[in-house]
Amino acid sequence: MPELDELESRLDALTEADFQQGLEVFRGKLKKAEASYLNSCVHCGLCASSCHYHRMDSTLENIPAHKLELISSVFKRNFTTMGRIAPGLVGAKPFDREMAKAWIDAVFGRCSLCGRCSINCTIGIALPKIFRAARAALGAMGLVPPDLQATVDNSLLHGNNMAVTKQDWVETVQWIEEELQLETGDPGAKLPLDKQGAKFLFTVNPREPKFFPLSLQASAKVFWAAKEDWTLASDGGWDLTNYGLFNCNDEQAGTITKHLVDAMARLGCKTLVIGECGHGYGAARWEGPEWLRKSYPFEVKSILELMDEYVRDGRIQLDPSKNTAPVTLHDPCNLVRHGGICEAQRRVLRKATTNFTEMTPNRVENFCCGGGGGQLAMARYKQRRIQSGGMKAEQIKASGAKVVVAPCHNCIDQLMELNKEYQLNVQIKTVAEMVAEALIPNP
Amino acid sequence: MEPLHLGVLLAGAWAILTLVFLHLNAKAYGKRTLYSKPAGDSVQGVVYAFTKGMAPWAKESVRMNLPSYAAGMVFHAGVFTAFGLLFAAIFGLELPPSLVFLARILTVGGVLGGFSLFGKRIFKPQLRGLSCPDDFVANLLSSLFVLLALTWTFSPALAGVWMSEAILLLVYAPLGKIRHCFFFFTTRYHLGAFFGRRGTFPPRA
Repeated sequence: MPELDELESRLDALTEADFQQGLEVFRGKLKKAEASYLNSCVHCGLCASSCHYHRMDSTLENIPAHKLELISSVFKRNFTTMGRIAPGLVGAKPFDREMAKAWIDAVFGRCSLCGRCSINCTIGIALPKIFRAARAALGAMGLVPPDLQATVDNSLLHGNNMAVTKQDWVETVQWIEEELQLETGDPGAKLPLDKQGAKFLFTVNPREPKFFPLSLQASAKVFWAAKEDWTLASDGGWDLTNYGLFNCNDEQAGTITKHLVDAMARLGCKTLVIGECGHGYGAARWEGPEWLRKSYPFEVKSILELMDEYVRDGRIQLDPSKNTAPVTLHDPCNLVRHGGICEAQRRVLRKATTNFTEMTPNRVENFCCGGGGGQLAMARYKQRRIQSGGMKAEQIKASGAKVVVAPCHNCIDQLMELNKEYQLNVQIKTVAEMVAEALIPNP
Repeated sequence: MEPLHLGVLLAGAWAILTLVFLHLNAKAYGKRTLYSKPAGDSVQGVVYAFTKGMAPWAKESVRMNLPSYAAGMVFHAGVFTAFGLLFAAIFGLELPPSLVFLARILTVGGVLGGFSLFGKRIFKPQLRGLSCPDDFVANLLSSLFVLLALTWTFSPALAGVWMSEAILLLVYAPLGKIRHCFFFFTTRYHLGAFFGRRGTFPPRA
């Protein structure tokens, strides 16, 4: 695997200055909350069962506290008095090649930053915050897995993470518009591009125009039914993804966020609407302002919240008898646990289906599908990703559902692989697809 | 005042002052300025983190590990009781027999909890792999402290041994993981504030 060699070569070539740089960046990511977290772990090990990696492969390396300890051991050695005086006693260790390798394995290879361990930690340590600081440090040392970094580079170079050209994007939008007009029988059904002053700028995951155009069509159909004033951007600012959330390079993440902010300013829209994507929502809604170090002059909403409002306000009418198969809902970690959007999608699905069943556990306690944290972009960890997804596969099987709704395109990719690997025999859909199916046109 | 009593008080002062220093040191890392618009209330999140969020049924990790959780709870109850007894011993407070009886029950639980967790750390390979010497030292010092407190209720002549051990415990407390006696609260506060602001805490359904 040439990419593996690239990372190994980089590890071999690390100089003392690289380690210092990594430590400086790591230190720079720590605020008083993180300093508190790094002083708190009691190694009780009860977090083990909260991690989907450990549930499917119960090795020491998969225990969240062990991953944390790798990082806190370096913190102790470099930033605490006891770590310098009595390293053996408190488990302080130097930041060397072996440790850097262990960090890569732990924070890139055995963690999807889902935060389930935070909720379950007996103390309350928000472990992903520390793992993100470690990813940032590794990034400063040139130790981000190259395929993950390539996804970020695509966004920086092309304005979207799949390097879709403007021509391809615009043509796809026009084609979907034609399909929507055929489906609705309304020649006025539009996918507006660059509509100045539209109320909403709608953003999508590049997977939609590339592989799942029906998903974009479904969202457009919902907007059409609600008679919404919305637009897509033809150039930079239509891609909601931001893998800067995963390589943890705040500068790069901020630059990608700026694509959205600039499109909002260019088009004069009031609200940025994030399509069904967990990390995209987290990046745009929560982290973007922090990366840019300023508040947005506009509002950010998930399309799930909009659909919930449409149903509540009677702007769309749904016929649940159009979706009678048993349906269950996957809770994307960045949308639910880290994003706070928990009930909107449930209210909508209850109106759009006749047989909605919750997975167990769900909501804040949901299990990551295994595709989060940039895992889908890191081929070297594919086997672990599929294995750790076994937890989600078990949940789906236990639900008895025939349709799994996932309001996140990254999760959908992972769920599709799990569907094959674990022979789940389910359909995987977005919330908008379910709503579009149940829409009663022009009631 | 007896020298050992003074020693305990001085060790206690050391523990408190060092913990304050560690807290100030953590605070010196600075506060993150947040620019995103909150979706929930940090204060409600903190309240939840310290109340319902700590309930055994709120955490799957606890629900799945009830014996360990129970051992931890009685261990901590034993430690707090032992400190109460230490306070009484130093300041010559006469405890009513009913309170002594209750203290004995709590310290027996603490001893059993503490040493069972010590055994678990030794015999469970993954927990052993997760541990550094500090984990064993901290547990031993605390468990012995509770055990000696229990024996003191039967034999006050053992006060010297108990107080000497208490001095060791108090001197060591801020140096190793026992510092979580303080950082537990700040960590839980930050967790609650983070998830509260995001509208995740308290859970709405």
